Amino acid sequence: MMMDMHDVIQIIAAYFTSVSFALLYNIRGNAVNLAGIGGMVSWALYLGIGYFYPNEIVQYFFAAALVTWYSEFMARKLKMPAVVFLSPGIIPFVPGRGLYYTMSYALNGEMTLFSEMGIETVTIAVSIAAGIMAAAAIYRIVRGIERFNKRKKRTA
Amino acid sequence: MRTKELITFVLDIGEQMLISGAEVNRVEDSITRMCSAYGAKRVNVLTITSSILVTVKMDDGEMYTQTRRIRSYLTNLNKLDKLNDLSRYICDHKPDLEEIERRIEIVDEVGTYSPKQQYGIYALVASSFTVFFGGDVSDAIVSALIGMLLKLMMGFIRKIDKNTVITNVFCSFIVGLVTILSVSLGFGTNVDHIIIGNIMLLIPGLALTNAIKDIISGDTISGLLRLNEAFVIAVSIASGFSLATLLMGGLV
Repeated sequence: MMMDMHDVIQIIAAYFTSVSFALLYNIRGNAVNLAGIGGMVSWALYLGIGYFYPNEIVQYFFAAALVTWYSEFMARKLKMPAVVFLSPGIIPFVPGRGLYYTMSYALNGEMTLFSEMGIETVTIAVSIAAGIMAAAAIYRIVRGIERFNKRKKRTA
Repeated sequence: MRTKELITFVLDIGEQMLISGAEVNRVEDSITRMCSAYGAKRVNVLTITSSILVTVKMDDGEMYTQTRRIRSYLTNLNKLDKLNDLSRYICDHKPDLEEIERRIEIVDEVGTYSPKQQYGIYALVASSFTVFFGGDVSDAIVSALIGMLLKLMMGFIRKIDKNTVITNVFCSFIVGLVTILSVSLGFGTNVDHIIIGNIMLLIPGLALTNAIKDIISGDTISGLLRLNEAFVIAVSIASGFSLATLLMGGLV
């Protein structure tokens, strides 16, 4: 399957959006690059799911879940707060585009398009939030099981 | 042990964490752990986005209460990381008050990127988002320049008024105005992609992420406050652009 040029550019741009936000939040060193990779990989997943299952809600959900797991994993590995990787990584998904078009339709008096775009923007935001929540819940359960096993080993 | 001073230092750390961009859960957890490490029997902490309240009951039955009011935020995740390390260190080693004070001072000196680098970062954010949303090379260049202008304007308006809503309305108004002007003069082709690139600089990305994380960990009040704050900022950005668009006679 060929990826078209537009997707490639977007994936590369996603890396830079995350990197630049990491810099904006004053993150230093290797974490900047890792945050960028998080954003890039999850945007690639978003586009990849689109080939097989073109449904924005599902795409955003799984991409947000991936970036959450990625940042929890990195946070644990590098002993840094997860938010260092999560907030720059989630940046490509923030619906700034939706916000802009919603506003511009409202100004042009196109009420049908306005409500469609508004609902789409809110839906995207909710599916991202749902993705983060689901991923965080699963991550907590996995860690809980790990801790439980460790404790059992110690007492045995 | 000078418990009062200890709690003041612990609250200093918690306050700085919250200002730098920590989730509520992390702040409450760190404060509780640090107090417990010094032999507090019971620690009651309540943190919301604008205030921290802590009551500690020590071994001897004495109770201590202190509060903090947080008025403004300054995202600095590098500092947050350092504060997190410091709180872990305090829990593990229980250093004396002088050492805690010295270490807090070291963390306070954690710098931000220099003003020149900041301009570069703003340009990078704006242009990378313009490309991300489908802008071409000329859009990216114009967007980068407007991003730097935005940084300049932000510094200017913050000197006059620190209010977030006013800052956002003003900044988005200027961005909208300059973008429409420059495109009509032939610099850049797509008004929408340039504006979206610069919107991203104003959008409270961290507040949104933390809102979700707060709600997950059960701190619903703080989560809703942050969500509300993000919504207010979104509306203020939209109103700034609307003003600019109406002034320039509709979208191009």
